[in-house]
Amino acid sequence: QKQVITGKITDATGAPLPGVSILIKGTTIGTSADVEGNYSLEASPNDVLVLSFIGYTTKEVSVGNQSQINVSMEEDISTLQEVVVVGYGEQKKALNTGANLQIKGEDLLKQSSTNALQALQGQAPGVQITSTSGQPGETMKVIVRGVGSTIGNTPLYVVDGVITGDISYLNNGDIASLTVLKDAASAAIYGSQAANGVVLITTKKGKAGHAQVTFDSYYGVQNVARKVDLLNAKEYAIIANEAAVNSGNSPIYSQHVIDSLGSAGTNWMDEMFAKDAVTQNYSIGVTGGSENSVYSTSLSYLSQAGIVGGKGLSNYERYNFRFNSEHKLFKNILTIGQNLNVAFTNNNGIGVGNQYNNSLRGAFQTTPLLKNDPLDTAGLYNQANPYYQMVYNNQNRNKNQRVIGNIYFEVEPISKLKFRSSLGIDYYNYDGQSYKPEFKLSIYSFNTNPQVTQSMSKSQTILWDNLLSYSFTLGTQHKFDAMLGTSMYQYGGSSLSATKTGSVFSDVEHAWISNGTSNTATATGVAYDPDHRASFFGRLNYNFEETYLLNATFRADGSSKFAKGNQWGYFPSVSAGWVITNEEFMDNTSGWLNSLKFRASWGQVGSQNVSAFQYQSPITFTNTYYIFGGTEGTLTPGAYPSRLSNTNLKWETSEQTDIGFDAAFLNGKFNVNVDWYVKTNKDWLIKAPVLATAGAEAPYINGGGVKNKGVELALAYNNSIGDLNYRVSVNGAYNKNTVSHIPNADGIIHGQANQIYDNSTEFNRAANGYPIGYFWGYKTNGIFQNEQEVQSYTSAEGTQLQPSAKPGDVRYVDVTGDGSITEADKTMIGNPNPDYTFGFSIGADYKGFDFSIQASGVAGNQIVQSYRNPASKYGNYTSEILDRWHGEGTSNRMPRVTETNENWTNFSDLYIHNGDYLRINNVTLGYDLKRVIKQNFLTQCRLYVSALNLFTFTKYNGMDPEVGYGTDGFTSGVDVGYYPRPRTYMVGLNVKF
Amino acid sequence: CSDFLETESLSNSTVDNYYKTPEQAYNALVGCYDGVQALWSSGVSFPVASEVLSDNAFGGTGYSDGYGYQLLDEFDKSRSPSDLNMFNNNWIAYYKAIYRCNILLQKLDDVEWGTDADLRNIYEAEARFLRAYMYFDMVRLWGNVPLLTEPSTENLPQATPQEVYAQIAEDLKFATENLEAKSYASQSSSERGRVTKWAAESLIGRVYLYYTGYYGASDLAGVISKTQALAYLEDVIANSGHGLVETYANLWPAASGTNYAKEDNKETVFAIKYTYTSDYTTGNDDGNKWLVMLGMRNYSSYPYGKGWGGVTVNPNLWDAYSSTDTRKAASIISIEDENIAFDQQADQREYTGYYNKKYTPMINLNGESVSAELASELGLNSDFQISQFQDYVVIRYADVLLMAAELGSSSAQNYFDQVRERAYGDDFVQIPITQQSIMNERRLEFAFEGIRYWDLLRQGVDVAANTIAETTQVLNGGVETTKTITASKIQETKGLQQIPNTQVSLSNGVLKQNNGW
Repeated sequence: QKQVITGKITDATGAPLPGVSILIKGTTIGTSADVEGNYSLEASPNDVLVLSFIGYTTKEVSVGNQSQINVSMEEDISTLQEVVVVGYGEQKKALNTGANLQIKGEDLLKQSSTNALQALQGQAPGVQITSTSGQPGETMKVIVRGVGSTIGNTPLYVVDGVITGDISYLNNGDIASLTVLKDAASAAIYGSQAANGVVLITTKKGKAGHAQVTFDSYYGVQNVARKVDLLNAKEYAIIANEAAVNSGNSPIYSQHVIDSLGSAGTNWMDEMFAKDAVTQNYSIGVTGGSENSVYSTSLSYLSQAGIVGGKGLSNYERYNFRFNSEHKLFKNILTIGQNLNVAFTNNNGIGVGNQYNNSLRGAFQTTPLLKNDPLDTAGLYNQANPYYQMVYNNQNRNKNQRVIGNIYFEVEPISKLKFRSSLGIDYYNYDGQSYKPEFKLSIYSFNTNPQVTQSMSKSQTILWDNLLSYSFTLGTQHKFDAMLGTSMYQYGGSSLSATKTGSVFSDVEHAWISNGTSNTATATGVAYDPDHRASFFGRLNYNFEETYLLNATFRADGSSKFAKGNQWGYFPSVSAGWVITNEEFMDNTSGWLNSLKFRASWGQVGSQNVSAFQYQSPITFTNTYYIFGGTEGTLTPGAYPSRLSNTNLKWETSEQTDIGFDAAFLNGKFNVNVDWYVKTNKDWLIKAPVLATAGAEAPYINGGGVKNKGVELALAYNNSIGDLNYRVSVNGAYNKNTVSHIPNADGIIHGQANQIYDNSTEFNRAANGYPIGYFWGYKTNGIFQNEQEVQSYTSAEGTQLQPSAKPGDVRYVDVTGDGSITEADKTMIGNPNPDYTFGFSIGADYKGFDFSIQASGVAGNQIVQSYRNPASKYGNYTSEILDRWHGEGTSNRMPRVTETNENWTNFSDLYIHNGDYLRINNVTLGYDLKRVIKQNFLTQCRLYVSALNLFTFTKYNGMDPEVGYGTDGFTSGVDVGYYPRPRTYMVGLNVKF
Repeated sequence: CSDFLETESLSNSTVDNYYKTPEQAYNALVGCYDGVQALWSSGVSFPVASEVLSDNAFGGTGYSDGYGYQLLDEFDKSRSPSDLNMFNNNWIAYYKAIYRCNILLQKLDDVEWGTDADLRNIYEAEARFLRAYMYFDMVRLWGNVPLLTEPSTENLPQATPQEVYAQIAEDLKFATENLEAKSYASQSSSERGRVTKWAAESLIGRVYLYYTGYYGASDLAGVISKTQALAYLEDVIANSGHGLVETYANLWPAASGTNYAKEDNKETVFAIKYTYTSDYTTGNDDGNKWLVMLGMRNYSSYPYGKGWGGVTVNPNLWDAYSSTDTRKAASIISIEDENIAFDQQADQREYTGYYNKKYTPMINLNGESVSAELASELGLNSDFQISQFQDYVVIRYADVLLMAAELGSSSAQNYFDQVRERAYGDDFVQIPITQQSIMNERRLEFAFEGIRYWDLLRQGVDVAANTIAETTQVLNGGVETTKTITASKIQETKGLQQIPNTQVSLSNGVLKQNNGW
């Protein structure tokens, strides 16, 4: 029988939602919610309530024997009313003609990452996000639509309108939305700074209504997900003996010694990694306001200890404070407001760079026969204890303070005519200290004098933007939005660093110059080159009945970095859209196709990512001394011109064409976005090598470029079965990268030598016709199984190709076919750029429970793995060496072992591994305790458990296939002892009231 | 807003506003000296290469190292096919330092000299000497090099050796004419290391002998005749105030103990000076970075410090000295004769039992690196690899005597005897002066001083090839191994070295590679 059902309808934030229609399914009986969101109606237990409201997903609730049914409505993400953030403004999503992608802050928060960019991983097709290291606080490599440059590919970040180069300071919980502008037409409004794409971030703003308090936290423990399997002492001794014998020496270890070793010895991997390193986050926020004044504020603390070395050596912690408010004055004619973000970051870390600056690398190389004993000053075979090397060489503390925000006002003297002016600042302050104790671990690894270093730097950016915008309609069908703006940008800063030897104290906490004991300190200090920019820009949006869409932008940028005459760059764009489902002839498809919009865009953006004053030739005094006379240590200062000038230097240009469509099917339950693009970067700003005879460093020049072509696809489906709501989304992108027009005679930008092992030669390069940063070395073709194979390995003319090879050695391919293996046979043996990047997520909720899986991956790329230094015969091996050639037929990939490691001194595809992987980034199960607690003041009390980096599907045998590290700006995928991303298990709590 | 875009660097002067005052000109001149000091801070140093190439020594280095030094030693690129750029850093450094000289020379007339007008030609003379000094290294090593006497970014082809030598001769001649004839004793001790008239005159002798010998010419590129060359040397002998240090061993820190004659002694006509102020933190780089190549492989034994075991000494050289020659023990460390408990054979390539004593890292009685200790007293972040400070003595007075004798001085026998009397002391027995006896004496006198190889080459490529070629036994990682240097490789390359492949490639083939490389 019927009874009266009452309840309250709220939105996702818990705010009352008035006007929601409530119908009994299958009938016309119903009501709608009042201004407080309350409703009441009569229904019987078998009835199903259908709740619907524009902009929200329709919900069905079975009545059962409930008398009170409170419902939280979810915004319909596919809704055409949705507004997206665009450069210097917002736009109705339905009218947007660019290729961009917006993620809500709460979806980032759900990933429980320390960094918004990491949370974005796998959610944004065409945006490749890679860790450069698993060390806490390390930056992410973000590449929008393929690597476009040799000197940095970081997109432009704009936080609440303030331009910045890094957003790792941001607390995920403070982000309202994050938008990636991928195509040039969307980004062109940022002109010269947008060549690598633009990421727009808005932080949370206040809302009129009662104050809402949120508390978010998590606590987790992290461990290494996978260690590399190194040889134990016995295996090591056996292999070392075999190498000695293969090199004509007698075995090093007697059988008796080997037998006594067993599995003993030091597992250096185990020594380096800390167990259960803690990561935690506590964030409290309050949002609210009145009709005229809104505010949003938050305070948060986050910390993450490193899994290598633990908290003392590798750690990151951050304090965030945010206060945003906005006030309407004079009957809404004038709006003033401010956004303020303050972040204090403290971090310390171990070396995660190339072979010489990589703390973890030592663990791969050191013999397991050495004991982990800090009192051992000799090491073994001149190898030093890698754990204590890491400890002694990485005593550092870094503190950053950052204030970023703006103050703005907006007047609207007549309706739709707005003038907005904002003054933004980005102030950055750093102070750091480091301590190097006196130690001796081997004859090569020692420090005879304790040393303290103290350094400071600061920089400030001031940004003043003025925008005038006007919207008007001609007739009833022609709608225009026009905007004109100016922007002025000014950057400067300085740094100072001093070092003293000797120290009163022996720890990093006391590493201050005043505690150094020597009577002199060496100091360096520098003023950063000023960077000034002046810009003028405009945008015109036009639409005809929201069906034919047109958008044009233009920006003129002047930069102080270039000489007069080259200071100004001009960046146009145009884009158009056609919402075909608004056409009458599409009426018959409206049953299954809700909307279909075709888009096309073209635009040019630029880069001035180069140090200033390239048009001058500077005189250098730094480290320019000669000693005259017999008193050692007395220096006479000198000077010399260190660099050539290039007065012709100008903007780098990136031109991009994008064609795509957005479609919604099945009442918006199924959404498809497809984009195709060609992005051509030209007139690169590069430091192309000059002839040595020029006599000084090369200046930057314009030359060379790269073409990225690709396709992006995103599919999303959501539906409900009874109380079970579920969502599935899949995205993927394909990109092909080809370098062209490198201006050197040889058409190559050469990578650096000595990066991946001692005496390693250039192994990566950017060259015409190849993907940027490709791996360059010898191709191999198996292993010589016997002497006969060595002799019969000849050129077409019959000359023996590798006359000095022995059975078990690598067979190199004579690529040129010229009858000898020479440098000319080196070729492309790998590509660090993936062909495919992809991700998927699955989410479901059921009666207060929620569950989600998020995954991301790449395919088609290669990794260079170099854990061992062929210049040393004593280095340990990974257990892969157990599959070495040691007699005919034993291996056709892994060559024989020798003391001189000759099969490894030439960079060949022995070093190359496939880097494909699919990582389950996040698996979360939550339950909203509000169902149990049932307190009215409580909107949400969700308890959850998460596993981050739960599992990685890959054939790569290193610790982590996500290797963003590269030795040159244009390369990645170089694993010389990569700090892996931890696996984290955590519990978390989200409370709202 | 165009004013807003006009900014100025807060930390640099520029080429356009510098070179205005005599002080700035002096700083720029010191910059040229600094450029010379940095020539060999990476790559392969000229003094080290000259020994590896000669019959004095083998390549050596670590047992597991690359084979670059064997490539040099055997003139055979197949020994280390990927070593296409062994001298690239040096090639770049030479042209960088030459650029510093050329810019200064170009700007000298922009300087407002005021009352210091006399400095103008002195600075020009020093800069031109340094430029000549560098071109002489380069043209000997590579034979064919681009010649720049003013800055240029053009892709220049190589000049003929004659053009380069003519420029060297002109530069040195200018230096002899414009530097003051100030005797050694009257030079200010704080100015030691500056180029002197005597250095220029002596270098002319060396250049003359090499050019006329290697190229079979009758004078120095049409600029300096044999008579003039001899006259320059006689002037040094008569007027420079330079002389021989009494005891040969006292010339060398490791051989002399406490009796070291010190740097800038009266025998040093010109030296490239180093000191121990190199610092990893600041990047300051004033040290002798090549000395560490020469130390015993990973092994210290007072007073000899460890090094990388490059340039292992050929036993033939040890045997070439008679037992009464004091230069034998002053020049060579003999592991056996000095009872050194060297135990790093397993890590040493081409071990012979002998190491270089003239240029070796040193340790004190506590076993600490001497140079690293001194550096740490200054509070520097340094170690034995970068803090070595022993100067490279380019020209000794003994060389002036022997060159003058070779050029037919009327006092030839006397000059010859002076050098030998010091070497043999009481055991001195006069021998007649012949070309052969002079060349033999030069080998013994100047071992490891970067001279021998060029003395061989100036007797003709065939003489050099046949003298250097050898098949012998060395210990590689403790294992007896046959070592072969073939004459044909030296003849094929004419004793010239590989032009860095990177430079050939950057020039798009305008630079021509030497034969055999």
